[in-house]
Amino acid sequence: MNQTLPEVEKAQRFKDWVLTYSDMLFGHAVFRGFDHDAARDLVQDTFYLAWKNMDGFEGKASVKNWLFVILKNKITDHYRESASQAAVFVSGHSTQFDSAGHWAKPSYPKELTVNLSEQQDRLDFQTILEGCSAKLNTIQKAVFFMKYMDDLESDVICRQLSITVNNYWTILHRAKVQLRACLQKNWLLIQNI
Amino acid sequence: MSCHEAVTFMLKKEEGKISFSQQLSLWRHLAICRLCRLFSAQNRLINYAMKQRHEKLIALSEKEKREIIQNVLDQNAFS
Repeated sequence: MNQTLPEVEKAQRFKDWVLTYSDMLFGHAVFRGFDHDAARDLVQDTFYLAWKNMDGFEGKASVKNWLFVILKNKITDHYRESASQAAVFVSGHSTQFDSAGHWAKPSYPKELTVNLSEQQDRLDFQTILEGCSAKLNTIQKAVFFMKYMDDLESDVICRQLSITVNNYWTILHRAKVQLRACLQKNWLLIQNI
Repeated sequence: MSCHEAVTFMLKKEEGKISFSQQLSLWRHLAICRLCRLFSAQNRLINYAMKQRHEKLIALSEKEKREIIQNVLDQNAFS
């Protein structure tokens, strides 16, 4: 049987965990495309689960790793939930293409002069990329980050999010095209300042 | 092939999920479509930049941390 800590001591230890690890967890959630409030709520949910399971935590893993596992599961749950509503916005045609599937004039891709090996360009481009990816909807972010940051293959992403392969390509297509348009618009804006 | 389809093939190609004949039609389309070539260049830029992203050190306010502690402990009291 686990030795259960006295309540006061347990609460104190819990407070220490929040003070020590909440920024790290928060930073990770923001990195995964959640806005401030959503990220804070995820951190709170993570700590709620940690508090409830504190007696079962035997210190086999580090506290930090344990909290991160909880947070990552929460994030996947959140993604999956948004995926269950994905059918709603997967339908319909993107406005960036005309009815024949060619680029619509206002959305023509343009030549961008970006040199990512130069620091200023890299910083500017990253800032714009952050702003533009924040505008993707939840399911687009989920697919996008799992693919391009976690390097997951489409079949793994489909399984984790419970979406069909066709929906996956449609979501990714929409996300990429939308992100590109946003990047181009903003990049040209700062180039002309 | 339309530009819309060409984008799909470009994305599938990243995962090696297109057939040889699809690859050929994509090349043929890119050879004649400047806009899709520009898209392709921007696409590569985005993919590269996504890999360069790194976590920033950002903090919750002290108030938010206190609220998290309070909320969790309160929630527990009623459960």
